[in-house]
Amino acid sequence: MTRLAEDAPQTGEEPTETLGDRGARAVLAYRDGRTEPLGEFVREATPLLWHTVRSQGVPYDLADDVVQGVWVALVRHVETIQEPHAVLKWILVAAKRAAWEATRKHRGEQSRTTALPDDRDDGAPRELPDREPGPEAEVLTSERDRILWAAVAELAPRCQTLLRLVARADRPDYRAIAEAIGMPVGSIGSTRGRCLAKLRTILDHNGDDLWGQV
Amino acid sequence: MTVHDARGPVDDVDVAILDDLARIHDLLDPVPPGLAERSLFAMTLAALETEVMELAEVVTDPAGVRSAEPVPARTVTFTSAATTVMITFQASGPSVVRLDGWVAPVGEGVDVELHSTDGVVPGRADEDGRFAFPQVAHGPVSLVVRPVGGAAMSTPVVEV
Repeated sequence: MTRLAEDAPQTGEEPTETLGDRGARAVLAYRDGRTEPLGEFVREATPLLWHTVRSQGVPYDLADDVVQGVWVALVRHVETIQEPHAVLKWILVAAKRAAWEATRKHRGEQSRTTALPDDRDDGAPRELPDREPGPEAEVLTSERDRILWAAVAELAPRCQTLLRLVARADRPDYRAIAEAIGMPVGSIGSTRGRCLAKLRTILDHNGDDLWGQV
Repeated sequence: MTVHDARGPVDDVDVAILDDLARIHDLLDPVPPGLAERSLFAMTLAALETEVMELAEVVTDPAGVRSAEPVPARTVTFTSAATTVMITFQASGPSVVRLDGWVAPVGEGVDVELHSTDGVVPGRADEDGRFAFPQVAHGPVSLVVRPVGGAAMSTPVVEV
């Protein structure tokens, strides 16, 4: 067992409302003609969608459009979503698919524009610069952040994506997130999961105990 | 060395690591400012169930790029199967923009509405298809074009 197992919260019966619960409430309210809860859900869940889309490799400006498109799709389908309680998973799956589609089209545009410079009938009207922030070394100023980031870089890409997303979710929603991005059930959930266990092992192995004393 | 069981419960150290990770990702790849508001605006437009026109061209006037003007003058063209809308933005004050537009064909007349996060401003194209919104605040906007006797269309959201 783990060091702090006795302090670990009870699994499976979190009394507090999660992001997924608020999404369900928002969809039901919207169907009743009350739009305010959906507005709150959009404000709260947009960062999660942003990181979902960006972790699929979508350029900065394009990712902005993709996230907006997911929310528009939700409004268009709001009457037909059969499981309001699965709305969090619904938007995550929609975001992942839209990200794939956007990346595929973007690459197609680029190669087509390169091959046929005159073919601009429906060509990309805007530049899509990838406005990445500066190098990690400049942004991560604390030793602790650098150590953690180096450990994350040793993980498989799918684990990196999973942890990036669950890092900003409520624990009971972990499972929906893992399923939405296609990780096997058990990758994470009420239990730690393989990705987080691996990260802990790497941090231990690197000889750092910065998190052990929390 | 401690073995970290994947089947073990999430503990305080896990939570601290995940909190750090969320903070690091926000530093490395911050969510663009205003993305949620733009999304909400796009959702409001989607609820209108209008046909969305395509963005055809953006031309930025290099002569309009002056230090006194926060937003360079630019012309944006939108098209649908039957209709073309061209709009020009020009700074007209510290935080306001003048929007001049042209729609074709005019037919029996065209109503043009300016939708922004502040609400809807009604307008109408003249017989040559010209219309104007002299004072538009910075932020996302979309035009809804309603030809008399035809189906309404909306432009994609643009930032002014």
